[in-house]
Order: sequence, then C-alpha cells, then structure tokens
Amino acid sequence: MTSVRIFPNIFLKSLILTAIALLSLCETLRPCGAYDLTDKVKEFTLENGLKVLIVERHAGPTVSLYISHPTGAIDDGDGHTGTAHFLEHMRFKGTETIGTRNSDEEKHILRKIHETGSALDREEMKGEGADRQRMEELRKRLDALQAEAGKLSIPAEIDRLYTENGGGDLNAFTGQDITTYHVSLPANKVELWARIESDRLANPVFREFYSERNVVMEERNQRVASDPGGELREQFMATAFIAHPYRRPILGWPSDMRFLDFDYTLQFFRTNYTPNNTIITIVGDVSPEVVMEIVRRYFGPLPRCTVPPRRVTEEPVQTGERRTEVKFDAAPRLIIGYHKPTLPSFDDCVFDVIDTILSGGRTSRFFKVLVKEKGIASDVTTANGYPGARYPNLFVIFAEPISPHTPGELEEVLYQELDRLKREPVGTRELEGAKNNLKAALLRNISTNSGLAGMLSYYQTVAGDWRYLVTFLSLLEKVTPEDVMTTAGKYLTRDNRTVATLVKDK
Amino acid sequence: MKRHRIYMAFLLLFLSLCAWQGDAMGDVMGDPDNITYAPLRFEPPKTQRVELKNGIILHMLEDHELPLVNISAVVRMGSFYDPPGKEGVAKLTGTVMRTGGTGSMTGDQLDEELDFIAGLINVSVETESCTVSLSVPQDDLDRGLKIFSDILMNPAFEEEKVITAKAIETEALRRIRDNPQQTAFREFRRLIYRGDPRGRISSIESIERVKRDDLIVFHRQFFRPSNLMIAVSGDVQSKDMVDNIRATLGEWNAPGGPGGFPPPPVYAPASLDYFFKDTPQSIVLVGHPAPGKESSDFYAFEVLDFIIGSGGFRSRIFGEVRNRLGLAYSAGSFYSSRPHYGIFGAYAMANASSTLDALSAMTNILNEVKKKGAHPDELAWAKQSIINNFIFSFATPDRIAVGQMMLEHDGLPDNLLTSYKNNIERVELDDLRAVASRYLSDKSRVVLVLGDKKRFNRPLSSFGDFRVTQDNAGDGQ
Repeated sequence: MTSVRIFPNIFLKSLILTAIALLSLCETLRPCGAYDLTDKVKEFTLENGLKVLIVERHAGPTVSLYISHPTGAIDDGDGHTGTAHFLEHMRFKGTETIGTRNSDEEKHILRKIHETGSALDREEMKGEGADRQRMEELRKRLDALQAEAGKLSIPAEIDRLYTENGGGDLNAFTGQDITTYHVSLPANKVELWARIESDRLANPVFREFYSERNVVMEERNQRVASDPGGELREQFMATAFIAHPYRRPILGWPSDMRFLDFDYTLQFFRTNYTPNNTIITIVGDVSPEVVMEIVRRYFGPLPRCTVPPRRVTEEPVQTGERRTEVKFDAAPRLIIGYHKPTLPSFDDCVFDVIDTILSGGRTSRFFKVLVKEKGIASDVTTANGYPGARYPNLFVIFAEPISPHTPGELEEVLYQELDRLKREPVGTRELEGAKNNLKAALLRNISTNSGLAGMLSYYQTVAGDWRYLVTFLSLLEKVTPEDVMTTAGKYLTRDNRTVATLVKDK
Repeated sequence: MKRHRIYMAFLLLFLSLCAWQGDAMGDVMGDPDNITYAPLRFEPPKTQRVELKNGIILHMLEDHELPLVNISAVVRMGSFYDPPGKEGVAKLTGTVMRTGGTGSMTGDQLDEELDFIAGLINVSVETESCTVSLSVPQDDLDRGLKIFSDILMNPAFEEEKVITAKAIETEALRRIRDNPQQTAFREFRRLIYRGDPRGRISSIESIERVKRDDLIVFHRQFFRPSNLMIAVSGDVQSKDMVDNIRATLGEWNAPGGPGGFPPPPVYAPASLDYFFKDTPQSIVLVGHPAPGKESSDFYAFEVLDFIIGSGGFRSRIFGEVRNRLGLAYSAGSFYSSRPHYGIFGAYAMANASSTLDALSAMTNILNEVKKKGAHPDELAWAKQSIINNFIFSFATPDRIAVGQMMLEHDGLPDNLLTSYKNNIERVELDDLRAVASRYLSDKSRVVLVLGDKKRFNRPLSSFGDFRVTQDNAGDGQ
C-alpha cells in the first residue's frame, strides 16, 4: 500500500537465494534444453569498458533494464556514512537537460546553494560553540536561494518521462557493495531509457540536495528508529563486525547523515559511476542488434576513468561470543550471526544448503521444532550472505518468540539444532529436497523479465561474471551430507557467534 | 576533522586522473520527449474458458518457456463473513486448510510431500475473496494438483494445527503495536468502515473464541464447485489439464449455487482521530469512500488518484510532502476498488515535529483539487502514463490468466482489459472536478494521526477537534 521508491535493499537475501538456485536449474530439474541460460545471454563490452548482458525473450511486449555498479555503502568514507545511498536519491533529481528551465542560470544558483549549505554545516558542526546568529542568517539565505532554484527547475522529470511512457518498477537500491537502478518499459521504448541513463551518468545535477537530506533522515526514522527489527539489525551488525565496513548501516549513522556533503557526494559519483564500473542488463522482447546500436550510441561516448583501488579493513578473526541488547518498546526478538567466507568458496555454497535445511519451508528443522512442535516461536528464518557478498560475511538467524517465551529459550533450542547438524549427517532425502527447493525458487524468480535481469546483474557485479551461476551449480551438486556436517562444525561455533536481543523497554 | 580533510585530498588526487567530460555527450542528447518509437504490435493472448459440469469455471493459458505450472483458485468468501465476536475465523480457516491435513494425508505428511517436490501452496483471505494458489515444477504437477484439490475439497482441520495457527495469529496481533504502520492502517480500517462488518477486526479475544468446528462450518459454507473459479498457466497442454481437473475437482459435488457479493458498506461520517505512539515518526492518513469498478465515475477517479498521489514523484502529495517540503520518505495515495464500492486514502509517514504540516499539506491538496480540478498537462500526463503502463497487465501469462479469472469472479465484463484504455482516454478535466467534489467531501473525510503529540511543532487543536486515544488500540483490543 505504501509506495516505497528509491529504497535500499539492505539485505538482498531473496536475490541471493534465488540466484543461487539459478545455476542448479539446468542440471537436475530438467535437461538444459528447457531453458539454457548459457546460450541465451548475449554479452558485449564497449570500448570504454561498459559491460552489457542481453536476453531476448518474447513472453510479453515488455523489457526490463538494469544498471548496476560494484559500489555501495562500503565505499562511504569515515564521517560520510550514508553517502552511497544518498547519491542514489540524488540521481533521480535530473540532469543538465532534464529537469531545468534554464541550465546556465540554474547552475549559478545551485553553486551558491552549495556554498551556503556547506557554510551552514560547518557552523553547525561546531555544536555548542556554533554562532547562532550566523547560522540563522545562513539558513535564511539558503531558503531564499532554494526558492529561487525552485523556479528554474522542473521537479521529478526523470520519473515523469518514464511514467508517461508506461514505465513501471522504477526504482533503485543501494547495498553494501552493489548499487542498482532499474525500470521496466514497453519493449519499444529502450531508447528513452538509454537517453535518460547515459545522461545521468554524464551530467547529473544534484537538485534539492538539502531537502532530500531530510527525506533520508525520515527514511531512517521509518526503517530504523520506529522499527524494532530495523533497530536491532543495525546494532547487531555493529557488534558482529568490529573493523570491516559491513559494520556500518547503509542508510548511515544519523550524525553523518545530517551533514552529508555535496562535494563528497559528487566525488563519490565521479569515482564509482564510470562506464568501466557499470553493468547493463536487458531482458525482454527486444533484438540484441537493435538494442546494442542504441546502447553504443548513447553510452559509447562516456569516458573510461581509472577506478581507484579500494582499501578495506579486514575483519579480524572473532575469538569469543559477542552479545548486545537493544531496549525498545516492542515484543522481544533475536538475531544470531556467524562469520563465514563468501562466494566463490565451496563453504559459502554449503551454507546455502544449510540455509534451506534450517529454515526453508514448513518441514525445515527450525520451523518444525520451534514453531510446530514446541510452539515457542511465531517466526524463524535464516539468511546466508549477510549483509554483502564481496567480502566474508555472515550466516544469520532471526527469531521471534511467542509470549511468554523468551529469546533465551529460543537460543537454547536453536543451538541444540545446530549441534545436531554438526553431529549427524543429514538424510539424503532431506538434502535432495533442499536442492529441489533451491532449483524451483530459481525458476519462479526468472519467470519474470525483471527477476532474470536482477539476477544476472547481481552476479555479474558481485562475482565479476554472471557465469558464477554455472560454477555454483557444479558446486551445489557436489554438496554431501558430510560437507554439511563439516561446515557446520567449522563455523557454527560459540566463539564465532554474535547474539543480539531486543528487550522490552517499559 | 583533520582526518576528514586528508581523505578529501586523497580523493581529489584521483579526480585528476580522470578528465570527466560531460560535454562529450552533447551531440546524442536530443529532447527525450521527441524520440520516435517503432509501434508496439501486440495482441494479448486469450485464455481458454471451460465450464465443468459441477459449475467450476477454468481459465487456461499455456506457456512453455519454463517447466513450471501456476494454478489459482478464487472463492467468494472472506473476513466480511466472520461471525460477530469470532473475528478471524475466515483467515484461520485459510491457514488451517493449508496446514491441517486432508482426508488422505496428515498435515505433516502433506508438508513433507510438498516441500520435497518444491511445491508451494498459499491460501490468502481478503475481505470478500479467498485465493488458494499452487506453484509446482511441471514434473510433479499431478502430485501437486492432487494435494491442491484435496485442500480445497477435504481439509481435515487437525485440532493441533488449529491450536498452532491460533497461537501464531495471537502473537502477530500482539506484535502489531510494535509496527506503527500496521497499527495505523488497522485503526484506519476500523474508522472508515465504522458500523460495517468490514470494520470488525480480529483481536486476541476474538481469536481465543474460535474453535475447530467454526473452521469446519466456515469451509463448508463457502467452498463448493459452483463458488469456485480456477486459472491455470504454465507448462501444460490445455486438453490434458482439463482432463486432470475433471478427474479431481470435477468430481466434487457440494450443494449450493455461486456465492454473491456482500452489500456495499455504509460509511461513517467524517472524523478526526489521534492515537498515541511514542515514535519519532508519525503516520498520517486521510480517507474517503470512493467509487466502485462498476460506477461510471471509476475511470475518472483512477486518473484523479494518480494525479493526487499514486502517480509517483510527479503526483501532488509526493511532490509537495516529500520533494518540496522534505517532511516524509513515504507519501502518496491509494485507491482500491471492488465492483460496488471503493476506498481512497492519502498517507504520509512524517517527521513527528512536522506531523500537522504534512496533514495540512495533504488536506490542502485534496481541497484544491476539489475546487480547481487538475491542470490540462497533469491530465494528459496521467492518462498517457496509465494507458502506456497498461501493457504490463499482459506481461506474463500468469497475469493474463489470473486477470481474466478475476474479471469473471468480480462479475465485470470480460472485455474490460481492452476497454479500459478507451475509457481512461475519455476522461476529461470536468470529470475530474466532478468526482473530486463528489467523493472528497469534508463530510466523508476520515483523518487519523498516529504519533506522539508532545513532539508536534503545533497543537493538534490547531487543525481540528481530535478524538484522542492515549493508549493506542493496536494491541488487538
């Protein structure tokens, strides 16, 4: 009911899960003839390094268009958390030719707005020592300039152009290490997308910068401050990771968000949104030749730029259980996480199987014991690959007790189940069922153009090659009951876990 | 701060490596409004309609791209019919149909079988309809269809599963108050349908009163072949599929004819309600009764709602409350319609301090459109957007099959999918003004604010005379 646009997909869980399933699809569910992805994906690379994947598909007269960049919150500098996500918002504000009545005059005023806004921020950052009067003057000046800029701009033009041409599914998400912009259009409108997207890669204009900062603060209020689940997740991540940037929220910490910086945001954009750091995925009722002509014409002139090497602090090995508690006026809930390697390691693949065995469906182990048999939980789910997939990540358990049971009671039973996983090999039928479910989940996901485009785009960006899906298939087929036991034994240990509980305040 | 500056310098260094040349794009960047497009040629495929001897109606559409089959059954049943004092029966009936076993399998056996073949069966219960859906890999279609049919015809409602379902539902109700949005929309429903069965909502007490027999009776009351329509899409041969369904659901006999529609709601007069919740963000909702799908006002109201708040960034509420004022992240409107009635609502999740500013902005937009109607450009934009987007109703075979079934279920003309575009095209400025003044009247306006008034930057009374509920009722009372 609430139309939530431009949202951060903080977890990307469903995508990861189904993408994993994709690989297994061809091999066991049916002979590859049924839907041979390897044959269907057409790959192109422009001279400037931009990568294009196209799948021609004629189910309906529509096309889904995805653009992904291997960047995200992980690239936010210290003191600048929230920048990647805020940039995503800014990119809906138009370009030098979209959204303005007079570009030259507007540029002039926007420059003054940013000077004034930065000056105001610098003053406000002084805290107690800030000059109140100067702040008031700057604020008035900023308001006046913004009103002036408002007369020269045409708001929401990108949205208007897409919507008026029948676009749907117009959105974007920022993850820890991927940022994606997508839209679905009637199949004959690909050129509109190319016109808009190449323009906002070349000439974006960050209009309404300061009012949009308030919007993302409200986004945080909605997703974190007034949501017990959001609040607990944020604290959990900050506890599970002590050094790696995955510890920081994608939306940012409030004190950084208040002062999101114009120049820094622009610089972030220029550094990370280069054509050689861009992946386009197109799935639908189109001809690859026709589409590539359009893509070359519009995206070809974008200049290749060196992407600076990323320096990321490695998370040190955890040497003992970590616990955190969040007080909130809400019913109790629980998150438990374990550090583990990411793709393309075999262990990561085994965790996808573990994920399904523990919480996929009504016969999964956690559901069976906690919900059906003991009746002490109303919900229990797990997720592999949290909160990103380019660096070692977490296997996570989320659970909600049924009153009057406590998170502590749940923990006890959950650990017993994990111990069983380490002690006894899973049955062959159970393992086969888990693999069947991963495959079917894939099929369901790729049955839509946007589902298939999303998956190809994700793996090309995060794993560097969409064919990781195929590699994964062979890995998955190799997983044995012993592998599950060994992997569980290696990672699902007390010393390697972080536990966050929400405790009722009041 | 020092560290911060060093970091910036580091970045600027890299900047110099890359000559960013937006100008290089100049020659390809024509006016995006003047791109010429090849015509879109598309003839929507038609579903095959079959009526079985026992009254079941089938809509089928083959699609052989992926080895998957989707089946949806819709029944005229819903929470509207919950017995007074036992609100929640309809939903629990749906839940335990899925979990409580059938004549031939226990619930646990059924779970095991379905999970192994990766079949998904969901039962979703709305106010006036219930949908039971199956998604199954083609290889195991027969097995999946057998279970699906059994669930529709012979659910066993095992006592133990009834107890579990009630416990989970009770916990969900207990947790509603943790979620400001759910709490607000629940109270909104209660307010806009005050005095109507649609406004009766389940509570911990009403769930407690529900017994296994209530579910058995409720199932028997609504589930019968003549009250059932089915849509099938995916990797099937239509003829085989009809034979399969004939052999399973086609053999089902249960007395009674097709179910009817409940009467349209009787709406309550205007109201202003405030619910306390200690939260940094308030939920503001403004609602009105709206036309049903069969009303001659339907198309004009679709366009009006698009302009007011459901048309994305350009729509008025989004543009004003989010983009211009920066008061909320989520803001807009929704319009949901049944054949004989509809509901319109405007919403904003606004910063607590600006709660009343957001509310004023929203009501000003509604009053303005009532007084002046819309701008010709807005009308053109909205019509073009709705018409061009309409093609997505045919984006997948599943959508087409279910869409066609739902038209028949709702008693709407079967050509509605094609006539829709023409009817939107005919909407004019005068129509917008007419429906705005007819439906957005002060006399029917239901306003709900959920938040903490101590945090508001002006008193509630500056907007109007609110009824105050200090202890919010989201806990299922």
